[in-house]
Amino acid sequence: MSTHKKINTEAVKSVLYPVLFGVLIFLLWEFGVLNTILHTDTNILPPPSRIASIVAENSSKIADNLSATMTVILIGLAAGSVLGYLAAMFATRFPYFGSGALTVLSVFNAIPIVALAPVFNNWTKDVSSQADVRSTVAKILVVTVVCSASMSINAYRGLTELKPFSLDLMKSYAADNKTIFMKLRFRNSVPYIFTSLKVSVPTSVITALVSEYFAEYRAGIGRQIRDNISIAQYSSGWAYIVVACLIGIAMYIILMIFEGIFVKRTS
Amino acid sequence: MKRRLLTTMTAFGLTAAMLAGCGSSSSGTAAKEDTAETEQTEEAAELTDEERIKAAAAEGKIGNWGLGNEYEILALLTKYGLPTDYLVQDFTMDGFDDDSITLASAMTYNELGLVVNDYDGGYGYGDSVDIIDMNDEGVAMLEDMLFCTKSFAEENPNTVKAFIAASIKGWEYACEHPDEAAQIVYEAGSSVSSDHQAYMASEVKKLVETDMNGNSVSEIGKMDETAMQQTLDLAKQYIQLDDSAAADKLQSLTLDDIRDTAFYEAAMSGDIGTPEKTDIKIQMKWLPQAQFMGYYVANAKGYYAEYGLNVEIISGGGDIGETTAVQNGTVDFGVTWVSNLIAADAAGMDLVEVAQIYQRSGLVLVYKK
Repeated sequence: MSTHKKINTEAVKSVLYPVLFGVLIFLLWEFGVLNTILHTDTNILPPPSRIASIVAENSSKIADNLSATMTVILIGLAAGSVLGYLAAMFATRFPYFGSGALTVLSVFNAIPIVALAPVFNNWTKDVSSQADVRSTVAKILVVTVVCSASMSINAYRGLTELKPFSLDLMKSYAADNKTIFMKLRFRNSVPYIFTSLKVSVPTSVITALVSEYFAEYRAGIGRQIRDNISIAQYSSGWAYIVVACLIGIAMYIILMIFEGIFVKRTS
Repeated sequence: MKRRLLTTMTAFGLTAAMLAGCGSSSSGTAAKEDTAETEQTEEAAELTDEERIKAAAAEGKIGNWGLGNEYEILALLTKYGLPTDYLVQDFTMDGFDDDSITLASAMTYNELGLVVNDYDGGYGYGDSVDIIDMNDEGVAMLEDMLFCTKSFAEENPNTVKAFIAASIKGWEYACEHPDEAAQIVYEAGSSVSSDHQAYMASEVKKLVETDMNGNSVSEIGKMDETAMQQTLDLAKQYIQLDDSAAADKLQSLTLDDIRDTAFYEAAMSGDIGTPEKTDIKIQMKWLPQAQFMGYYVANAKGYYAEYGLNVEIISGGGDIGETTAVQNGTVDFGVTWVSNLIAADAAGMDLVEVAQIYQRSGLVLVYKK
């Protein structure tokens, strides 16, 4: 009983200290102490209240840009994850070609977004005569490539690093490949899917924001950050940076909730 | 081990093929267009500039870089009653080359030269392209000028005067000897070829020595009231700011808030005292190129030293914009466009223009005839 109580206070502390630290930083920021420490004026680092008021003033413009960015993130993340998983399945089924193919995919993970985005802009010029459509496609493709790389590698591990003898056991039951996949490999891969998503969810947000910098059509939170900073509108820039942070945090929280549901059930 | 090596090589090969594929696909389309272009020439020849702008706007094929360079284009579109949408151009003219942009923004001294000329990096269109000039359309805004913070100017008036005097001397020399100026810039760490520097110097000379109406300018660097006012009026109309405090400030700005002619006049009349600060840094708006030749010439020819200044020229195009660098005190002077200074001051910066180098807009829309 006493040990149980001790764990609880530890848990409370581990939440409380970071929160208190966050509140402290927030207060220092709001009252200009942070500006003094960092030697910046309130143009470059405006107080949180000013940023919040700009977010509130521009809610409809932010909503428009947010929907453009979320479209890219969600479709790109979904497509990339599915593709990555399919690649991992392929690699599991045909290990001889498969592991080589995965190496190639992992190379894509190493290409910087700033290099991929202009390339995909050029490639998608014939997709549509509408600049907003082809520009969205280009951005989605960049996110897809980046996400599929991390999913394929993690899912491959999930599909192949099975419990000792479990595969032999399945074979001794004369289970076919489909059954082995459904009963053994897929279930084994679920935690690995979430490991991959923990990387690719934040990456998809960053990728979408950065690829907006290079897009042919002006839309999205990332584009607004760049536009504002480049004409010295740091307060407005910060407003969009806050929105970008919220996207990342919200998506990560949703992911953690799903992980709690699915990983508990399968393990 | 051997297999791993093979896989790695395949991976590299595929990446290389992907990048190469990107290059070849764009050059492939360029070749196709040559034939399409000749067919279009006859019907397109009769279009007026207005019809051309309207046609390109209807297709959504007017391009600009954005990022504070777009206001003249917005003004032009509004002038013809068109929606103010434009495609984002990257820092190449590939979009113009492959026809995804039919009316592309170009600076006369830079992108236009690349489109027209066939030296290294050029597209070699020659006489087959023509331009719509913002000055002729009445939507011109003033561009490259010299600025510092108001507090720096108050505390170091003699430094400001000396810096203006030496810089103008550099610009005068550069405009008289554009080829030599181009060479000086090229040697100072050029970002472009020496051929393009020479072209740029000859075009920049025109912007420095001609006003918006095409009349020649005798006093380099002076701030023309009418042109300044037109720039400020257009800026108020077309700079859209999300921060309502900054938007209100923008509307309240007058010429006296954004420029101070006293330093220039004193510098030109020779009324310069001992500089208060002698180690000076100036940040350009972009990479080293003849766009800024006057400053490079003043430094190379020792004009700054004559006025007792030790000047370091910092190139732009990096992470920190010239307005921010000057406001922070990282550098003492900066070169930017008037509209960029207006936007920065609206956001609460304390910047003031002290000399106007370019007397007319260098922005044009280029199209294939």
